Amino acid sequence: MKKLGIYIHVPFCLAKCKYCGFYSHGGATDAEQAAYVESLVNDIEEYGRVYGEEYIVDTVFIGGGTPSILPSPYIGEILDCVRYHFTVADDAEISMESNPKTLTYENLLAYREAGVNRLSIGVQSLDDDCLKALGRVHTAADFRRNFIMAREAGFDNINMDLMFAIPGHTPETWEKTLDEAIALGPEHISFYSLQIEEGTPFYDMYRRGEFDQVPDDIDREMYHLAIKKLKEAGYDHYEISNAARPGRECRHNLKYWSMEDYLGIGPSASSYMKGIRFAEAPFMEFHENTFEDETSEFVFTGLRKTSGIFFDDFRERFGRDFWDVFGDRREELVPYIESGQLVETEEGLRLSEEGFDISNAIMAVFV
Amino acid sequence: MDYQKYIRNFSIIAHIDHGKSTLADRIIENTGLVAHRDMKEQFLDNMDLERERGITIKLQTSRLVYKAKDGNEYIFNLIDTPGHVDFTYEVSRSLAACEGAVLVVDATQGVEAQTMANVYLALDEDLEIVPCLNKIDLASARPEETKEEIEELIGIDCEEAPLVSAKEGIGIEDLLEAVVHTVPAPSGDADGKLKALIFDSVYDNYKGVVIYTRIFDGQVKVGDTIRLMNTKKKYEVTEVGVMAPGHVPTKALRAGEVGYIVASIKQVRDARVGDTITMDNDPCDETLPGYKKVQSMVYCGIYPAEGEKYEGVKDALEKLQVNDAAFLFEPETSTALGFGFRCGFLGLLHMEIIVERLEREFGLAVVTTSPSVVYKVVLNDGSEQMIQNPTNLPDQTEIHHIEEPIVKADIMIPKEYTGAIMELCQERRGTMLHMEYVAGNRVQLHYELPLNEVIYDFFDALKSKTRGYGSLDYEFIRYERSQLVKLDVLLNKDLVDAFSMIVHESKAYNRGRFVCEKLKEIIPMHQFEVPIQAAIGQKVIARETVRAYRKDVIAKCYGGDISRKKKLLEKQKEGKKRMRQFGKVEVPQEAFTAVLKYDDNK
Repeated sequence: MKKLGIYIHVPFCLAKCKYCGFYSHGGATDAEQAAYVESLVNDIEEYGRVYGEEYIVDTVFIGGGTPSILPSPYIGEILDCVRYHFTVADDAEISMESNPKTLTYENLLAYREAGVNRLSIGVQSLDDDCLKALGRVHTAADFRRNFIMAREAGFDNINMDLMFAIPGHTPETWEKTLDEAIALGPEHISFYSLQIEEGTPFYDMYRRGEFDQVPDDIDREMYHLAIKKLKEAGYDHYEISNAARPGRECRHNLKYWSMEDYLGIGPSASSYMKGIRFAEAPFMEFHENTFEDETSEFVFTGLRKTSGIFFDDFRERFGRDFWDVFGDRREELVPYIESGQLVETEEGLRLSEEGFDISNAIMAVFV
Repeated sequence: MDYQKYIRNFSIIAHIDHGKSTLADRIIENTGLVAHRDMKEQFLDNMDLERERGITIKLQTSRLVYKAKDGNEYIFNLIDTPGHVDFTYEVSRSLAACEGAVLVVDATQGVEAQTMANVYLALDEDLEIVPCLNKIDLASARPEETKEEIEELIGIDCEEAPLVSAKEGIGIEDLLEAVVHTVPAPSGDADGKLKALIFDSVYDNYKGVVIYTRIFDGQVKVGDTIRLMNTKKKYEVTEVGVMAPGHVPTKALRAGEVGYIVASIKQVRDARVGDTITMDNDPCDETLPGYKKVQSMVYCGIYPAEGEKYEGVKDALEKLQVNDAAFLFEPETSTALGFGFRCGFLGLLHMEIIVERLEREFGLAVVTTSPSVVYKVVLNDGSEQMIQNPTNLPDQTEIHHIEEPIVKADIMIPKEYTGAIMELCQERRGTMLHMEYVAGNRVQLHYELPLNEVIYDFFDALKSKTRGYGSLDYEFIRYERSQLVKLDVLLNKDLVDAFSMIVHESKAYNRGRFVCEKLKEIIPMHQFEVPIQAAIGQKVIARETVRAYRKDVIAKCYGGDISRKKKLLEKQKEGKKRMRQFGKVEVPQEAFTAVLKYDDNK
């Protein structure tokens, strides 16, 4: 049976962060939350009728927003509903995003009970000045308490989200955060260069010229520092912004970069099912991928992975040779291959660490 | 000639924005020619572009019937004139077709330089002037002062000048009566030899060239073979008529009348404004005075933008040319931009209009190079070359000296800006001839200025330094020897010919620096540093560097991001397509226009 990843969106937060471009609201009443979960349950049921027979679900990802803001019984209800309407593999990866300050020992236990086996904590930084600059409502100390509690509650697969190039950030403060994070020993660390998204307070500040942006060369210094330190600590750098202990890569997220089917449930959630991309309101979308869409998405998402793309996979999926399809772009790629930013081997193509720095330019060749 | 008694041929002259077109609309409306509901705003300005810019580029003429208070019906031939310094010659020929002119002066603004310039043109043609004060409905109108100003400056009696508001339709009747009484009826011998003036010509897809003409003597009818005396060409007349408006065929056009002639003429260039029409088998003795072959004053390269077809641009230029005798073009090649055209214009406004029309009416994307005037290059062997394209400048060692065109500029400004404008003219290498104080706290400055200093943005600078009150009129007077140099631009050490320009030695440094700074803003970061240099010969006089970019990456790309990020990549790829590749350097199209927008304050 075909494998499926399910993403469930929970658009509630304690407060909206200054950099966040996701669909979410700060503050929701109990009644709103209850109504929301009810509609999610209905959606899951409906999708279950359409896809439940065809697929076996091997990953579930409850994201947001801040799913941990929901009273824990709701998480149980949602996952029970998924298991009722779909076949969920025994070894399925069931992730949930959370934020410090929303976690208690009780609800952590309840998540475990509900079947969550991977916890992602959006700490962003272990430097309180940075956290303040981001508009986060928690402190580094809140996180440390939460991390220990999560371990005690039995989570043996934890991700920390970190961010760098925050206004005021220096390589020194970043290194400190990295050191502390590594010392705590999570199984997975995501490390994002701060991205200014339209429609966020940071974007407005940026437009007004008030945004204290970290220069690109410092940004890159922080990026490469993170990779170096994470590798030294035994993590695999497996995607542009992700590293994990061997075998602990996020299986759900890998689907996004390998063009595997995933079903997004909840407002704004996106799905990719059988070559069709669609999204729920308010980001409504429906697009049946053409051959060109499929091949270009295969390449630009695949190149996000350090392993890159494999010609055999390409041939198997599309029935044509990679260079048969993209031969006309070869000339444009030559400078990147010569500079070592793009690495061509017998098996495939991948970006080097330096290639990641300017990956858009290379990926744009394939769209 | 009794029929002539009831004809009035006149123009409306005014400074830009003084309400000429609105007044023309009102007159047309009041004479009952066009019902109010069918009026488009500003009837005579028939191109969208003109309406948007509030200026008249191409003349429109209308024949109106006015029932005067004396009980008689009069035929008014209202000949509109273009309203910008680039089109002085066309204005003068339109005026030559008239016996009188309505002088519109904005009662809130008073007399301006261009009003004066147009009045002088009208007086040169011995026209009777009918002054009228417009915008009388506005609180800031000061009709008495304005009248005094007109009397003092122009020396015409304003006692009886109608006070009108074209916008509100006030005083139009008074004005029409004044036209009847002040503008003389035409005279001329309808039985004499044909002598007619071409004051405009337009291309019509079905009829070919339509000549707009004023008959001075004789008459013309279908079947006549006419001769255009200056171009010495013969044509058989296939249609004559009047503009009512729109073409309304008549049996003949007689002395004193204004109308149109169709005679299977293929290009407007063959029916030049100012030329004299006569009968081929019975020509008149001499041509009408005042004919000039219009000269292009400003040249620039027009190239198809990336992805645009050469043939498409060529077709469009040809179409524009059949209707615009003052616009010239010929093929040229640039190492940077490939195949394109060198185009000649009356002035910078004319150039902007053509480029805008290419973009809007023909949907073409084009790249324009730095505008240039025509330089006279005298070589060591004594021979002369006229150079319109800086790239074609002979080698420095072969040049004895270079001469540049000088214009006489009349600038009218409120007194308080005198210092600022004298400084501007000084800075633009102007020589003051004299200045005079005129009524209403104004000053008229008379300068000689090199044309290449005027074409960039002199008019914009004048406007901004006088809060919009300054006005300018200029005409070519002579060539003058000058210390000119060719300024080249190098990107990543490679010369890009499309950026080359000829400038005065004293300006080279500032201009070079400006261009480098501007290009630095516009050229995107590459993976390597891009040096931008301005050089005279081998000597680099300014330099900037576009830093290399270090980061171009999407940090987060999860399920919902893929479609959006893909669009971002597609946009990036599109942007790259619109770039011009010079060696390893990619330059956006807009770089070529941006370096023209010279800002003094930088």
